[in-house]
Amino acid sequence: MRSRKPAVLVAAAVCGCLALAGCGGGPSAAAGKFSDGKVVIGLLNDQSGVYKDVSGPNSKVAIQMAIDDYKAKYGAKAVAKTIEIVTADHQNKPDIANTKAQEMYDRQNADIILDVPTSSAALAVATVAKAKRKLFIDITAGTTALTGKSCNKYTYAWAYDTAMLAKGTGEAVVKNGGKSWSIVYPDYAFGQNMNKSFTEAVTGAGGTVQQSISTPFPNDNFATFITKAASTNPQVIGIMAAGGDLINFVKQYNQAGMQSKAQLAVGLMFITDIHSLGVDQFAGTSFTDPWYWNLDAQNKAWSDRFLAKTGTRPTFAHAGNYSAAMNYLEAVQAAGTDDADAVRKQLDGKKINDVFLRNGEVRSDHRVVHDVYLVKVKSKSQVTQPWDYEKIVATIPAADAFEPVSVDCKM
Amino acid sequence: MSAFVQYTVQGLAAGGFYALAALGLAVIFGVLGVVNFSHGACYMLGAVAAAVLLDVLHVHFWVALAIVPVLLFLVGVLMERLLIRWLLRLDPLYNFLLTFGLSLILVDVVKRRYGVSGLPYERPAGMTGQVHLGGIGLPTYSVFVCLFSLLICGVVWVLLTKTRVGMIVRACTEDADRSRALGINVGRWVTPVFGFGIALAGLAGVMAAPFRAITADMGGNFVIILFAVVVIGGLGSILGAVAAGFLVGLVEAYGQAYAPTFAQVAIFVLMAGVVLFRPAGLFGRDETA
Amino acid sequence: MLEIAGLSAWYGEARVLQNISLSVHAGEVVTLVGRNGAGKTTLLRSVMGLHRQVEGAVRFDGSALGHRSPDSRARAGLGWVPDDRGIYASLTVSENLLLPPVVHPEAWSLDRVYQAFPVLADRRNSMGTQLSGGEQQMLAIARVLRMGSRLLLLDEPSEGLAPVMVQRIGEIICDIKAAGVAVLLVEQNVKFAATVADRHYLLAQGQVVESLSNKSFQSRESELLTYLGI
Repeated sequence: MRSRKPAVLVAAAVCGCLALAGCGGGPSAAAGKFSDGKVVIGLLNDQSGVYKDVSGPNSKVAIQMAIDDYKAKYGAKAVAKTIEIVTADHQNKPDIANTKAQEMYDRQNADIILDVPTSSAALAVATVAKAKRKLFIDITAGTTALTGKSCNKYTYAWAYDTAMLAKGTGEAVVKNGGKSWSIVYPDYAFGQNMNKSFTEAVTGAGGTVQQSISTPFPNDNFATFITKAASTNPQVIGIMAAGGDLINFVKQYNQAGMQSKAQLAVGLMFITDIHSLGVDQFAGTSFTDPWYWNLDAQNKAWSDRFLAKTGTRPTFAHAGNYSAAMNYLEAVQAAGTDDADAVRKQLDGKKINDVFLRNGEVRSDHRVVHDVYLVKVKSKSQVTQPWDYEKIVATIPAADAFEPVSVDCKM
Repeated sequence: MSAFVQYTVQGLAAGGFYALAALGLAVIFGVLGVVNFSHGACYMLGAVAAAVLLDVLHVHFWVALAIVPVLLFLVGVLMERLLIRWLLRLDPLYNFLLTFGLSLILVDVVKRRYGVSGLPYERPAGMTGQVHLGGIGLPTYSVFVCLFSLLICGVVWVLLTKTRVGMIVRACTEDADRSRALGINVGRWVTPVFGFGIALAGLAGVMAAPFRAITADMGGNFVIILFAVVVIGGLGSILGAVAAGFLVGLVEAYGQAYAPTFAQVAIFVLMAGVVLFRPAGLFGRDETA
Repeated sequence: MLEIAGLSAWYGEARVLQNISLSVHAGEVVTLVGRNGAGKTTLLRSVMGLHRQVEGAVRFDGSALGHRSPDSRARAGLGWVPDDRGIYASLTVSENLLLPPVVHPEAWSLDRVYQAFPVLADRRNSMGTQLSGGEQQMLAIARVLRMGSRLLLLDEPSEGLAPVMVQRIGEIICDIKAAGVAVLLVEQNVKFAATVADRHYLLAQGQVVESLSNKSFQSRESELLTYLGI
């Protein structure tokens, strides 16, 4: 037995390196003006992994709220009598997202797919939507390619993109005196995209990026990268990691005593990140938020409903899913059918003001532009109630927040 | 130069986690012949336990450092008594698969209960600043992690070399069957040794709590590196596990600093090299206790 | 003291011991002689409980060993000295000696061990495997004497040792015998076996083919040498 121990241990190390595939989603029964007599909304997102809390199963609750509101608004006049939600877990993998999206459109008769975090997965679903001529509204993925060179007639981007985050945070921080930057970004599609967007935004606003440091993804030890980022004494360190990696970075950033030496700017932050790390660790950090639950009475009222159903405050992704579902159902109502092309004509160019979108407009490239907010994380003493973490520093008007319509987008 | 010292301290701090956890893995592997894949999950449990204790019972970091290993010891005892024990007579692969499955269950249970975005943890008092050594500023907590993990490894070392229990554990680690034939009731030591190994993983978890994201998945990557550490150090070699732990920490830090693209690959290249040229590991055969 | 009746052993499907019956009495040195692969070591391992695919009865000191674990057999008085000597590399010489529990009132004290084996006393703080082969063999024997084993299972103690060392091992075995301890010795060195043993069992293809007194063993030495192919 001893002699085989090395083999077993090496095998163990090798097996461990192999990622595991899982399963998710269940089949559902599937027949006008309405393709099968009903409207089916597919929610395709991360139900178990790193983005589960950001969007995940609670987005179904948000979509159900939209269905309830639609039925309450139109009552007997509602053209969509039966509305179903089907869900699936794409585990943030583009291949699984591709398979699940086909399954949703073909077998589960989904009329639309919503959410889809992770850029590569969202791009995979956009391709499927285009081929199947069915609708897809992306909420949680941030790639500009969805409305750039990969844009198509059936795909919409509802909430944010990396360019908007970079423009918002990058320009604002430079204008406030944070001219020299070190950027630390995870070495995969999202991180590279963010690094590029932020570098453009910072230099465009008159700042300089001294160095861009790539890190492995995922990664739990950033100590060396932080030392390196600090080595050129920048005024601002920009971190483009998300989720658990972001938390790792910020913990170690604070541990290294960096708060007093450089200002921290976070590329993409969800309120769940602040909640999980504790407001103290993020206090004073700047970032751009597409939506905040406690912005005003309207947001607060909707968030209270959400809280009653889920026990937690909504992220911008939850509100985005609600808004996308609601506007889709409104478009179905206006078109009188769930035919994708008819519904699409109702959505295109629409101006929207709802709980999620202020001064919103569905642009010709299907990028939904709206007011976004430059925020700073409150210090512990400023927090007056649970989840009350953000202080709105400025509202960035819809027209300035996003990049202009991309020349790469040809539908 | 100053940056080099910083990278070294950071490497040793990261190595401290690996050394502690690998020490537990090596002892379990040696005495039970079990490749404990759930070691990463137990490291995660240690961090989660510290966070929950702080949140619910306001148990301070320094107290958690003492309590959590005891809790994890009990978890280890339960795992061994209820599960591991029944497969010890079979091919070691069975227990590897069992602990692999167990770690998936533990991770999912924590996910279900605490979500995926992580648990908050306040930085322990007195550990937030920097210490200055010859004009070089080093994070206090990194220095603490280095020293504390060295201290624990030292204490374990003394236990192993100076006590009768340690002598028996060393003997069983080297050859459990032979120790049986010399009248040692190995079965009696299996449960406490497994518990002890898990407790060390838990201790590494508590130390990680102020320093790293406390999420259900935090042990996934960690356990892979741990296996590399144990392979590099030598199978079932206690000294090897500790030395390789710090070595891998340093390789990771220098790699990140000077060749970031190869930082993670470097560890596995080192492992492959060791397996090729010294299959028993750096400290495999001629281990001197 | 040790009675084996109808013992068979398997490695998977292969039967390596067939119906072995033999006995060792108190204070007696008995050898198992046979070619490589005759099943000598498997027999010792089966007696020690290390080999578990067995059938048949093994009685020690009047009580059946049945399915008792190796450690309880060792505590009952069986002393295991394996062919690789089984010295712990990670334990010092004195730790190697002190590791096993004391199981009998007539166990040797550490002082007595050091008196009998001065070389071990000199090197008590060295790591076990830093000793020479002969020293390791002495250490392995001394270890079970300190334990107080009543029957030593010695597996090829002379293998790979210089003649002078073989002679020394022979003297030690005689001393052990004089102290009333029994020895079951596996040996290929016929000359050596003849100098220390009272009786011999010839083992071939897993069976006892002959049982000889030392006298008839000595008289047939050359025939046996040919038989063993040595």
